[in-house]
Amino acid sequence: MIRLNTDTAVGRRSMDVRYVFMAIIGLFFLVVIVYPLSLVVVKSFSSEAGFTFENYVKIFSESANLKAFWNSIWVSSLSTLICVAVGTILAMLVVRTDIPGKSWLRMLLLLPYGIPPFIGAMAWAQLFGPVGYVSKLYMTLTGATSAPWNIYSAAGVVLVLAVYQFPVVFITVSGALGKIDTSLEEAARMSGAGPFRTLIDVTMPLITPAITASALLAFVGCISNFGIPALLGFRARFFVLTTKIYSALSIPDMPLATAMAVILAITSGIPLILERRLERGQSRYTVIAGKSVRPQTMSLGGWRIPVFIIVVLVSLFAGVVPLISMLLTSFLKYWGAPLNLANMTTSHYKYILDLPMASRAFRNSLFLAVSAATITMAVGALVSYMSVRAKIKGAKTLDFVGTIPYAVPCTMVAIAMILAWSRPPVMLYGTIWVILAAYLVRYMPFSIRTTNATLQQVHVSLEEAARVSGAGWTQTMRDIVMPLIKPGLIAGWILVFMPALRELTMSVLLWSQGAETIGVVIYNMQDAGYTQIAAALSTIVLLVILAGNAIVRKLSKGEISM
Amino acid sequence: MEERIKVSNLVKRFGTFTAVHDVSFTVHENEFFSLLGPSGCGKTTTLRCISGLEQPTEGEIHISGQLVTSPEKNVMVPPERRGIGMVFQNYAVWPHMTVEQNMSYPLRLAKRPKEEINAKMAYLLDLLELEGLERRFPSELSGGQQQRVALGRALSTDPRVMLLDEPLSNLDAKLREQMRFELKDIQRKTGISILYVTHDQVEAMAMSDRVAVMNSGKVVQEGAPHDIYETPKDKFVADFIGTMNFVPCSVTGKTEKGIDIRLRGGAEFGLDGSSVNKGDYILAIRPEDIILGTEQGVECEVDVRIFLGNVIEYRVRIGEDLLRVQTNSSMRFEPGDRTRAFIQNGLVFPK
Repeated sequence: MIRLNTDTAVGRRSMDVRYVFMAIIGLFFLVVIVYPLSLVVVKSFSSEAGFTFENYVKIFSESANLKAFWNSIWVSSLSTLICVAVGTILAMLVVRTDIPGKSWLRMLLLLPYGIPPFIGAMAWAQLFGPVGYVSKLYMTLTGATSAPWNIYSAAGVVLVLAVYQFPVVFITVSGALGKIDTSLEEAARMSGAGPFRTLIDVTMPLITPAITASALLAFVGCISNFGIPALLGFRARFFVLTTKIYSALSIPDMPLATAMAVILAITSGIPLILERRLERGQSRYTVIAGKSVRPQTMSLGGWRIPVFIIVVLVSLFAGVVPLISMLLTSFLKYWGAPLNLANMTTSHYKYILDLPMASRAFRNSLFLAVSAATITMAVGALVSYMSVRAKIKGAKTLDFVGTIPYAVPCTMVAIAMILAWSRPPVMLYGTIWVILAAYLVRYMPFSIRTTNATLQQVHVSLEEAARVSGAGWTQTMRDIVMPLIKPGLIAGWILVFMPALRELTMSVLLWSQGAETIGVVIYNMQDAGYTQIAAALSTIVLLVILAGNAIVRKLSKGEISM
Repeated sequence: MEERIKVSNLVKRFGTFTAVHDVSFTVHENEFFSLLGPSGCGKTTTLRCISGLEQPTEGEIHISGQLVTSPEKNVMVPPERRGIGMVFQNYAVWPHMTVEQNMSYPLRLAKRPKEEINAKMAYLLDLLELEGLERRFPSELSGGQQQRVALGRALSTDPRVMLLDEPLSNLDAKLREQMRFELKDIQRKTGISILYVTHDQVEAMAMSDRVAVMNSGKVVQEGAPHDIYETPKDKFVADFIGTMNFVPCSVTGKTEKGIDIRLRGGAEFGLDGSSVNKGDYILAIRPEDIILGTEQGVECEVDVRIFLGNVIEYRVRIGEDLLRVQTNSSMRFEPGDRTRAFIQNGLVFPK
């Protein structure tokens, strides 16, 4: 009897601790996420006189603003279309045909996913710019005085956006293709359908939800991207919403910037909501799944090698070629110099080492990435535990609030930070802390998602078995739960750390003297025309990313990669 | 009788592993033929070779007299042109099509006139008791209903041959038993030839006209269910089909009707119908072939009694051996009772 009493007492006390945690996290979310973001909305509807629609009217009546909006829409739509076509065809080829070197191709095709889009844009400018490597090669081969293309254009933005978003489609569609129960297709063959009819009548309808979902995600990725339209569009005076917001902020026209940010949030939020719906609606497509025989691969016959060569070329241009170009440029004496050993130098790296701003930027980015990853993972783990495992009332709400920023574009997060933290009592603007605050908001959803997924993998019975064996709650946590979720937590930590390390959009809007990040320094160097310095810095960042990617792969046994 | 499926010397290798090893059999018109064996015995691979979904390494397959597969002659008719129906283990009903769309798909592919398709659908919906569910999607159906949709789809083009790959293994026990009768009934109504693959010997026994028992890629025995049950060719078949006691024994001599047998504990009795030379063997006895409480027979002691409903099962000790005995006799024994056991039937296999 006495033992029983102490046990319930302990149980009650641990419950109380959980509620204290919940209150603290709730308050944290309120201050860090809800308050700044709602300020943006409030501000967008206000003028000196009070409530107004004036700012929105200004967007849709001034042709420059309206044009940026339409540019965003059509550029993202066109890019998405390319992503879907290329991503789906490549997924089909790699998963369902006898194309050689599948796992290599897959790795090559996923490479662009790990490259920061703004660095990718720089590499593409190096390749296809007026004096780019490919352009020069073209001029040498044809004798023309200029290349027939211009990367600094709307077309350039569309193309490069597509290159860095198509892996989303590729991953999703090849995943769906791999998961199709092959007997569904075999049943079509047995019903009298040939391979092509089977593809049209059975395979395509089954992967349509996956294609649609990935298209929506690609669209959101395109429309909220800043680096690519900034690096390739500014020169051609081609603006989209994100770059227009950047300009509005540098005037500064805060009311206009907030209103455009809200418009951007709506146009990227709607596809995200649709995507969620689609995921939930998937239950219509669940039938009894049986043992799946190895996926049937279609023979390409005589086309096997030609198709292989095309796919290799596509994947090389998406990933490897830009990397090589970046590396070459970082060693080139001056931009535009002919490619030969005499024109190679390591001086740019030396210059970086001596540049106080560069080392400061590395220190800052490292500090920001470590802090953001650690804090968001710790909070994420607690939220997940309470919502997924303990199923405490109210924890679901925390989960929801914490994942709101997923639908909020980086530009809007940055504006929210400026509005919330640049006036008394909390003056963070102009320091590194405002960037950290932005990162926390932005990466919180990613942390909660990974910790949720990780915790869901640990079946509750494992915990219960420990309790029945005589372990208390804390001991169960230490001996059972923590060891089991540790790899997932570490992988999740790196998944926040890596993008934070090379973040551009938020930093470029929030940085100040002394609080530069790597992304900002690279962007400013490129913008100021120091192509080689930017390339050298980018090369270092890319090496760090590749190393990080290898670590994540190892930790998650290939299940997660960036 | 007309030959519907003829498999000759079929071999299928996956790398160095031989999944099907020199398999031959023939399925005639109107016949319900089963391939029976444990998982991994090659039965599904054989079926998939017949369907055309798998290409064998060697051998020939004829369907309704036409050569459809022969690696030697470079013949490989694609599955869609073999004109056979197939029901998959997991039914493979298409989740994005309604019941009617699923079942009429083969007819629509064959570009049959609308009236014919409608008439056929009405017939099948009635036959399979699916009326009213035409517009439902598979996810709104029970397992048994999905199974019948798959069956309807396979039947829609009136194939003369139908292949079924463990179609009942995903159903619960009650439904499985009901579907057995329905399948048999449909086969009789349509006059179709069925090749049925299963690991469930009760299922194969209950439904088949003939059974081929397979083990590690080979057909071990082929015949009518009762023949296989009564005279299994070897220890594997004896063990796989039904329940069997296996005990070591020695044959001490031949008699006019059969042989004399001695068990390890020293118990001796005669066994009719066998004629093997003296030596050590394995004796196989069906649980229902041991009769307890007889005047003659060997001494035994009842160890355990289990009530199984229609029968009572005892575990009985004869010398050193523990044997299962099944009886529906009203005579009751308690654990510890000593009585006599008469072995009325048995088979001897080499050790």
